[in-house]
Amino acid sequence: MLFNSGVFLKFFAGFLLLYWLVRNNLRARNILIVAASYLFYGWWDYRFLGLILLSSVLDYFVGLGIARQTDTRRRKLWLTLSIVANLGILGFFKYFDFFSTSLAVLFQKLDIPFQTSTLRIILPVGISFYTFQAMSYTIDVYRGAIPVCRNLVNFLAFVSFFPQLVAGPIERASHLLPQFERTLSINRSMLEEGIWLIAWGMFKKVVIADNLDPLVNMVYQSDTCSGPAVALATIAFGFQIYCDFSGYSDIARGLARVLGFDIMVNFNLPYFASNIREFWQRWHISLSTWLRDYLYISLGGNRRGAARAYVNLFMTMLLGGLWHGAAWNFVLWGAWHGAGLVIHRAVAGRTSRERASGIRTVAGWLITMLVVFYGWLLFRAPSFEQIVNMTRALADWSIPAWLASYLTNLTVFIAPLVIVEAWQFRSRNRLVALSLPAWAKALLQAILLLAIILYWERTALPFIYFQF
Amino acid sequence: MRSHSYDFVPGDLARLLAPTLVFVALAAGLLHAATRLNLLPRPRPTLDVDRTIVIHKTEASGSRQDAEVLLMGDSSCLMDLSALKLTTEIGRPVLNLGTLSYLDLNAHGTLLRRFVAANPNQPKAVVLLLHPEALRRPAPEQYHTAVFEHFVAGADHATKRNLAHWLGLEFFRTRLLCRALPTPLGGAYGRRYGFSSDLQSYLTRHRGSAVDPDPKAFQGNPEYRLAPQLESKSRAFKAAVPTGVKLFVAITPVPAGFAPPNYAQQHRQMLEQWSQWLGADAALVDLPPTLPDELFAKTTHLNEAGAAEFTTLLARRLSAVLSRPE
Repeated sequence: MLFNSGVFLKFFAGFLLLYWLVRNNLRARNILIVAASYLFYGWWDYRFLGLILLSSVLDYFVGLGIARQTDTRRRKLWLTLSIVANLGILGFFKYFDFFSTSLAVLFQKLDIPFQTSTLRIILPVGISFYTFQAMSYTIDVYRGAIPVCRNLVNFLAFVSFFPQLVAGPIERASHLLPQFERTLSINRSMLEEGIWLIAWGMFKKVVIADNLDPLVNMVYQSDTCSGPAVALATIAFGFQIYCDFSGYSDIARGLARVLGFDIMVNFNLPYFASNIREFWQRWHISLSTWLRDYLYISLGGNRRGAARAYVNLFMTMLLGGLWHGAAWNFVLWGAWHGAGLVIHRAVAGRTSRERASGIRTVAGWLITMLVVFYGWLLFRAPSFEQIVNMTRALADWSIPAWLASYLTNLTVFIAPLVIVEAWQFRSRNRLVALSLPAWAKALLQAILLLAIILYWERTALPFIYFQF
Repeated sequence: MRSHSYDFVPGDLARLLAPTLVFVALAAGLLHAATRLNLLPRPRPTLDVDRTIVIHKTEASGSRQDAEVLLMGDSSCLMDLSALKLTTEIGRPVLNLGTLSYLDLNAHGTLLRRFVAANPNQPKAVVLLLHPEALRRPAPEQYHTAVFEHFVAGADHATKRNLAHWLGLEFFRTRLLCRALPTPLGGAYGRRYGFSSDLQSYLTRHRGSAVDPDPKAFQGNPEYRLAPQLESKSRAFKAAVPTGVKLFVAITPVPAGFAPPNYAQQHRQMLEQWSQWLGADAALVDLPPTLPDELFAKTTHLNEAGAAEFTTLLARRLSAVLSRPE
C-alpha cells in the first residue's frame, strides 16, 4: 500500500475513525495499530507477514531471555541468536542470489567449474528497515540501555508501526517503544505540524520526485550519452532520490504526528552540508546513527588508534552501501563515501578548527556536492559497465538537442524545493512555514495540494527505498 | 488506561483546514471561469508521443506551408519516408502528414481539408500510404479519434472525471502547463527525441517525418486483407481531394521474412482494389511489397536505413507519375 495511492487514503481515513473509537483503551489502540500495520504490510503480499511476525516474536523473546539472564556469557548467547537469526533472514532474502551469482562469476573467471543456483526470491519490502529496528532493540536490551518490553502487542506495534514500517526512519526502541506504553495527547499544533509534513512530503514525492523520474530514465536507460546529459541526469537523480526518500520520511512523521506519536527526523537539509561528514549527519540520519552506534562502535570505533578508526569508518560505510541493495554498485557507493569520510577525517584533523570563512564554506560545499552527486551516479547506474561509460562520457561535452527542455523541467521541479529548503536553512527551522501568517500558510498549503492533485492521477510510482 | 486524548475542539480543525480549502476552491472557480470566458489559450495537450504527433500534424495541416506534395497515412507513412529526402529527390516541396495507425481515413481527410483551406491551390499531389495492418482495421481507436477531433475543434478532451478535472486543473494542464513545460517522452522516444517540444521541432525540421526509435521483434498476424469499412471511408477521403490534385496510393512494405507466401500477388490485388475504391489517379504498384528484414525497426515500420531506401524508390516512382502529362 503506497502512501501516494487512493487505497491508502481510504485506509488511513478508516483507521482515523477506529483510532478515535479506541481513545479510551490503550491496549485496544495498540491492537488496532498492529492489525492496521499488518493489513498495510500484507497489502503487498500476505506471505511477507510471516516473516515480520517471526522476526518480531523472536526479538521479543530474545529480549526477555537477555533480561532473565545475569550471566554475561548467556546474555551474549541470546543476543547472538537474535543477530544471527535477523541477519540470516535478511541475508537469505536479500543477498542469497547476489552472493551466489557473484561467486559463480568469480569461479568462471578463474576457470574453475562451479555449480550455482539462484532461488529468485522475492525481496520483502522494507525488510532491511524493520530488521535493523528490531535488532537495535535486542542490542540495546543487551547493553542495558533500555528496559525489556514485557508486552508482546506493544512490541509488535513498535516493529510494525505502519507510518514508518517500509522505509523508515529506523526508530530506536528507547524513543518509540515507550510511546506505545503511555497515554498520548494530540493537540492543535501537532495536527498543524502533521498536516504540513504530510503535504510537504507528498509534494516532494508526487510532484518533484515522480516528475524527475522520466528525466533520469531518459539518460540512465540510454546506451549513449554525453557529459552534459550525464551531469544533468545525475543532478536530477540526486534530487529525485532525496525528494522520494525524505518525502516518505516527512509523510511518515506527519502521519505519526496526527496520531500523537513522535518519529525521529531522518533528513536535515543534507544538500546544505559543507563537508561529507556533515552530509552524513544530515542524510538518512536514522541509518547513519544506527551504523555508528551498532556497527562502527562495535568494530572498535576510534578507540584503537587512528589507523583502525579509518578502517572501521570505511568498513561501516562499505556495509552501509551493501545494506541498500544486493548489487556491487551499492558496495562501490558505500566505498566511495567511506573513502570520502576517511579523507575528510584525515584532513580535518590537520586543519584548524576555527570557524570556516565564507569562501572555504562555499568551496567545501562544492566539493561535498561533487562527491555526493558522483556517488549518485554509482548508486543509480545499473552496471559497472555503465558506470565506466558514463564516467568517460563526462569528458564529452557535446550538447544534446533536448538540453533546453531538460533544463526547463529540472529547474521547474527543483526550484520549489531549493526555495523552501533555503528558507528552512536560513531560519534554522524545518517547520518555518508554520510561522507564516494564517492566510499565507493557507495559500502555500493550497498550492501544494493543487500541485499534488494535478500530478496524482498518473500510475503511482513506488518509493525508491522500498526496494531496500 | 486511556489511550490518547484529543486536546483540541472541532473548531480548531476547521480553522486549520478551511482557509486552505477556500484557496483551493477559489483557484478552481477562477480556472473554470477563465475557461468559460475563453481567457485561456486553446487546449494543446502534448502529454505523450501519440498526442504530440497528432497535435503537430493538425497544426501543420492548418498553417501556411510550401508543400506541393502531401504524404498522408498511418504511422508507416510517418516513419517509412523521409519527406526532406523526397523533397530533394523529386525537386518539389513535400510535407509528411502521416499520423498514427489509430486514426482512420476520415481523420486523414480532415487534415487534407485543413491543408487545402490554409494553402489554397497549392497542393499538386497527395500520396496516401497505409500499412497492410491498417487496411484490415475495421474501426479507428476511439480515444485517439476523440483526441484528434477535440483538438481540431479547440475543445478540451476530458478522459476522466476526477478531482483534477472538477478543480479545473485539467484546463491548467492542457491549456497552460503543456505550452510552458515540455513533457518528457517515455521509453525509446524519450531517449531519441527527448521532450514533446523537441519531437515537434524534429518533425518540423524533417517536414513531418520521423524515425522509429524503438526496434522490436516482428510480431502480429500476417494475414492481410481489406476491411469492408475501408470502401466507404476511401470514397469519403477522395471527396476531400480538391479537383486537379492527383491522388496516388501505395501500401507500405512488410519484412520479407514476415510476409505470407504469395504476398506480392496479394499486395497487388489489395492495392488495385483499394485504388479503385479511392478513385485514385494511380496505384503505385511498382513499389516493393516487401523489403529485407534488416531494413525494419518492427513489423510496421522501417528503420532509418529502410526509410532512406523506400524514399528513393518512391521518389523514382513519383517523379515518373508527376511528370506524366495530364
